[in-house]
Amino acid sequence: MIRREIVPIDGGIEVALPAAERRLLASLPAQLRAVLRGEAGPPDAHERLFPRASEDPDVEASYRELAAEGLLEERLGAVEAFAETLEAGETRRATWEVTLDEEAAAAWLSATNDARLVLASLLGITSEEDWEAGPEPDDAASAALHYLSWLQEALLAALRGEPLLED
Amino acid sequence: MGTAPGIAPERTTEQRDALDRPWQVIVWNDPVTLMSYVVYVLQKLFGYDEATATRLMLQVHHEGKAVVASEPRERAEHHVARLHAHGLQATLSRA
Repeated sequence: MIRREIVPIDGGIEVALPAAERRLLASLPAQLRAVLRGEAGPPDAHERLFPRASEDPDVEASYRELAAEGLLEERLGAVEAFAETLEAGETRRATWEVTLDEEAAAAWLSATNDARLVLASLLGITSEEDWEAGPEPDDAASAALHYLSWLQEALLAALRGEPLLED
Repeated sequence: MGTAPGIAPERTTEQRDALDRPWQVIVWNDPVTLMSYVVYVLQKLFGYDEATATRLMLQVHHEGKAVVASEPRERAEHHVARLHAHGLQATLSRA
């Protein structure tokens, strides 16, 4: 049997995933770093990751001055924390297990959310109706987006103290 | 009030800011972010209970936006930065 569960434990979350899914997640940090730094990815992805704070140019400029550098550093920091946990944990019988404390869980949510935003930009999702088509089996980005949606829901359920069991 | 037009408009702005007239922190709907993630972020950043965070999330979902806080400008900018750090679309504007 394959074990795939994300459950609340004291002070955090226990994650058990098929080892192949850990490998999929491990492919994300390098791509996320590049998109966050504006070195890769669709142009509107970068805009979506760093949205405007105001239509008023003065308010926007003042905000950028205050926040811009900190926002990039913080996002990259979450990607690093996410990447570190992916190298931790143990794999037994094709199941990878890792324990996340609350901070690591927050980093997972941040990184998976950024990845979802980038993938959605790539796939041109601009309205809620665009989800009606569901995952496109031959499209890796579409499959990844839907997988990360499941993963994020499972992490959030575990943080709320509700185990979300799958398979 | 006795001031000729065009005189010291900057000062007027400064005075208004000094009064700390509240700025609204607004969260906007987007077609990608999960509802449960928005509830999580609002609870985490503003300390709202689940019912309040859920009500605000649903307002964003149904009406396109919701005011999640009203604060002096600097605090409002800080909140917007925290919301942006969590991947939400947020803006600030004068109340």
